[in-house]
Amino acid sequence: MIGRRGLIGLGTVAGVIALWFLLTTLTGIVSGARFPSPSEFWASLVQIWTRGYAGGQLLAHALHSLKLVVMGFLVAIATGIPLGLWMGWSRRAEAAINPVFLVIRPIPPLAWIPLAILWLGLGDAAKIMVIWFSAFVPSVINTFAGVRNIDRPILEAARMLGTPRGRMVTEIIAPAASPLIFTGLRLSLQASWTTLVAAELVGAMVGVGFVLNMAQQDLYPAMILVGMITVGILGWATTVALARVERQALAWNVAARD
Amino acid sequence: MGSIRFQNVDKVFGASQAGVKVLDDINLEIGEKEFVAIVGPSGCGKTTCLRMVAGFEAPSSGTITVSGKVVSEPGPDRAVVFQQFALFPWKTVRENIDLGLRNKNLPAAERDRLIADALKLMNLESHAGAFPHQLSGGMQQRVAIARAYVLDPDVLLMDEPFGALDAQTRVVMQEELVRLARVNPRTVLFITHAVEEAVYLADRVAIMTRRPGRIKEVLDIKSVRLAENWDRFARIEDVMDQESFVHLRTQIWKSLREEKGAQGV
Repeated sequence: MIGRRGLIGLGTVAGVIALWFLLTTLTGIVSGARFPSPSEFWASLVQIWTRGYAGGQLLAHALHSLKLVVMGFLVAIATGIPLGLWMGWSRRAEAAINPVFLVIRPIPPLAWIPLAILWLGLGDAAKIMVIWFSAFVPSVINTFAGVRNIDRPILEAARMLGTPRGRMVTEIIAPAASPLIFTGLRLSLQASWTTLVAAELVGAMVGVGFVLNMAQQDLYPAMILVGMITVGILGWATTVALARVERQALAWNVAARD
Repeated sequence: MGSIRFQNVDKVFGASQAGVKVLDDINLEIGEKEFVAIVGPSGCGKTTCLRMVAGFEAPSSGTITVSGKVVSEPGPDRAVVFQQFALFPWKTVRENIDLGLRNKNLPAAERDRLIADALKLMNLESHAGAFPHQLSGGMQQRVAIARAYVLDPDVLLMDEPFGALDAQTRVVMQEELVRLARVNPRTVLFITHAVEEAVYLADRVAIMTRRPGRIKEVLDIKSVRLAENWDRFARIEDVMDQESFVHLRTQIWKSLREEKGAQGV
């Protein structure tokens, strides 16, 4: 089941854990007050998994964060992809929207957090809004670039075949742009996790970012590590899920990618 | 139905004053079911001629009519076969051929019948479910030709269709096209820089000058082909051995070489 590459990867993980053990428990080079030992990490994991921490068990925090990321991401791509398609298709739309984009784009997504909390409070809505803003931009830009990079003969062939407008978008433009659209989606997903955790660090009552924030205030490095690794695993799982969708959707494109 | 007419067509790329004139006063008539090839030095504007008939570009002055109608936009009455095939890689062979028929809103049963005919005509029956990237270049161009033929177009526009193929595949496709022209004759405008291909395939060959392209002369091939009965040969190399073929080929070569000489190449 696990190929050669998988084994090498597992070997690296085992090596890192061994080094961790060596530096903390065995030699004490790194003090437990700065970085937890594997056993402390394990104890914290058991604590948050069974009894809970920061007002909930790990699964509840993780699922809440996951839910917000998925919702924010979906709202972002449901708006970003159509806008990118439209800007790519119509020079006029590009001319109208691009100046706004040029100003908004350099604003770091995290800079929206204060405004979002001011408008929508500490609840879910504010976080979804921030994720939306951060994940929206890469979707739009990559979709736009995807449309503009379509080979001219493909569009000409479709026009020559008498393809009507709506079908042009759904059957020609969107699939032709889809390799770059998926690049945008991967970036959007990454941005979603970044901004969610940041937003939860600043103001939240539940979620992985909130766990991190509480653990920091409690001077509890082992729980900080649990929170960080949880984010890592969640991010990895969503990336794998997206990659699976991409492989399905772009099955026709395998030759071009190899 | 199915004639093409260039009338005093000029084409300038860029702004009209500072622009580059690529075509100068093109006049050419292609009759019903006639196969005309345009040859010329590279950059002479021969592909632009085809693109204007297709409706991808507009003449700067003059008019182009197809079946008596002035060309204003692309449409399925003028099917194009592109040098780079321009298949839709996310659609199967069958779906590629089907798109034009769906755009015509034909009922499913009729589409099925037409697609089956087209697949059979181009020997693609066993590849209907394949994606373009799974096919060789020659097969992909068969799909593109099937996609064009299935539309039952007034005219077929072929822009160096075999230019991207290797030499052997190219010969097979040329013979295939001659076979097609017998079973299902069409008005064809064929762009190529391969002189032998033009002589082998066309009824008439139009030779263009270097830029700004003009039609320098038009050679009648059909009368020679009929007089010498080239059609008795199944293979292109046998036709190419004929003295009459060699003579025409040399004549076109000389004419083209004068153009290159004028360019200083």
